Amino acid sequence: MPKHDTPLLDQLESGPWPSFVTDIKRQAEKNDACWDILGQLELSYVDKITHWKHGGIVGVFGYGGGIVGRYSDVAAKFPGVAHFHTVRVNQPSSKFYSSEILRKIMGIWDRRGSGMTNMHGSTGDLVLLGTFTEELEEIFYELTHDVGVDLGGSGGNLRTPSCCLGKARCEWSCYDTQAACHDITMTYQDELHRPAFPYKFKIKFSGCPNDCVAAIARSDLAVIGNWKDDIRIDQAAVKGYLSGEFAANGGAHGDRDWGPFNINTEVLDLCPTGCMWMEGDTLKIDDAECTRCMHCINVMPRALRPGLEQGATILIGAKAPILDGAQIATMIVPFIKMDPENDFEELKDIIEKCWDWWMEEGKNRERIGESIQRIGLPTFLQVMEVEPLPQHVKEPRSNPYVFWKAEEVPGGFERDLAEFRKRNPM
Amino acid sequence: MADKEETKAQILALLTKSKKPALYLKDMQKKVDAKPREIKNAANELVKEQKVMFWSSGSSTMYALPDRAKDEDARGV
Repeated sequence: MPKHDTPLLDQLESGPWPSFVTDIKRQAEKNDACWDILGQLELSYVDKITHWKHGGIVGVFGYGGGIVGRYSDVAAKFPGVAHFHTVRVNQPSSKFYSSEILRKIMGIWDRRGSGMTNMHGSTGDLVLLGTFTEELEEIFYELTHDVGVDLGGSGGNLRTPSCCLGKARCEWSCYDTQAACHDITMTYQDELHRPAFPYKFKIKFSGCPNDCVAAIARSDLAVIGNWKDDIRIDQAAVKGYLSGEFAANGGAHGDRDWGPFNINTEVLDLCPTGCMWMEGDTLKIDDAECTRCMHCINVMPRALRPGLEQGATILIGAKAPILDGAQIATMIVPFIKMDPENDFEELKDIIEKCWDWWMEEGKNRERIGESIQRIGLPTFLQVMEVEPLPQHVKEPRSNPYVFWKAEEVPGGFERDLAEFRKRNPM
Repeated sequence: MADKEETKAQILALLTKSKKPALYLKDMQKKVDAKPREIKNAANELVKEQKVMFWSSGSSTMYALPDRAKDEDARGV
């Protein structure tokens, strides 16, 4: 039986789409606290103000992340949600769970929390929504000892790394995203569980430039699969597409008749750099001009595949619009090998260089992309020991002066002042 | 390399006399004579020793002495 009248929330169940209100009501039949969530939310809709208080000292012993404190400011009315802390659980790479693990986690959560989850938070964690302070250590013990999972990151920590499906499911993956994500997660456990940085730091792994985890837009350090050599072309399969033998996009748009496949309008004319053309029925690509948009490969997966010399491109500095607006990541290192045999050493060198600089130079609550924006990309490239590339230039310069450093000028800036004064007395 | 015990003592002194009840690592870097990573390690060791507590908003994290750290719950409405 509902504990509170919720006419405003009830209205949200009337549309054609699934409703979170219906979901919470269903859960409330099992867990009484969920009626108080609905009651408090209804009050927030009436008052037009949140009734949650965020943050605090709650956590589990020794960890500086993974638990986000939340309290009700109307706890007397809604005692079931007086505390409503969030627990972030580090998801397995690519979110490949077994049903056994999910049942165990939900067993703990139904017993010790609200039973409500967020599958998944935008960082990637499995998020358990709503529990009391006194349950936290118990939940942590059971998760780590009985299920074998750990808490994820929150606060000024490395956030839980996440990755796409990678080589487990996808033929385009240029490196093993799951191995890389797992290795980085295990290597940087201290940074994940204990605050180390001026603000949050997210690492995401995509196996190819389709970037299925949106690393380029959402992570401070994006590791996006790439290739160095030429796109592999199967000319017989190209002819198969031209003749209609193979459906474009793997048949993904087969829900209606789009007419016969037209390689000019569907592929060549859409290439952002215009680096593809046909010579008779042979497809040609000027690979040096390819920007890795993936469109041609997506449309003709039988005919076109990423090259064989595979690795990843490192992009740094994406963030959501908190201070200066949303920012997409900047390509910093065009290509590295992603080698599990040497424990992804090239990647770790880059990560640690970034951290060392940002821990020194970053301000409180400043993402690394904002630090780069404030201090300047040329400085950051020097720190990273990367030679500037044409692609690093955002716009033609508007400042007529050229500033040289002493090491860039033959003989430097040192001069013999006494000698100078002999010739030019004051 | 800074002496860890000396760094820990400087952090405790700073958290005691600071006007703000909780400080970011960056606040400590301005006053404590050690490298950022050394300060981070020393501060986290103080947490293990239960001499210092974390205060987290969820997006960022601060450090405070246990008697100065206030939970949101204790702040009232």
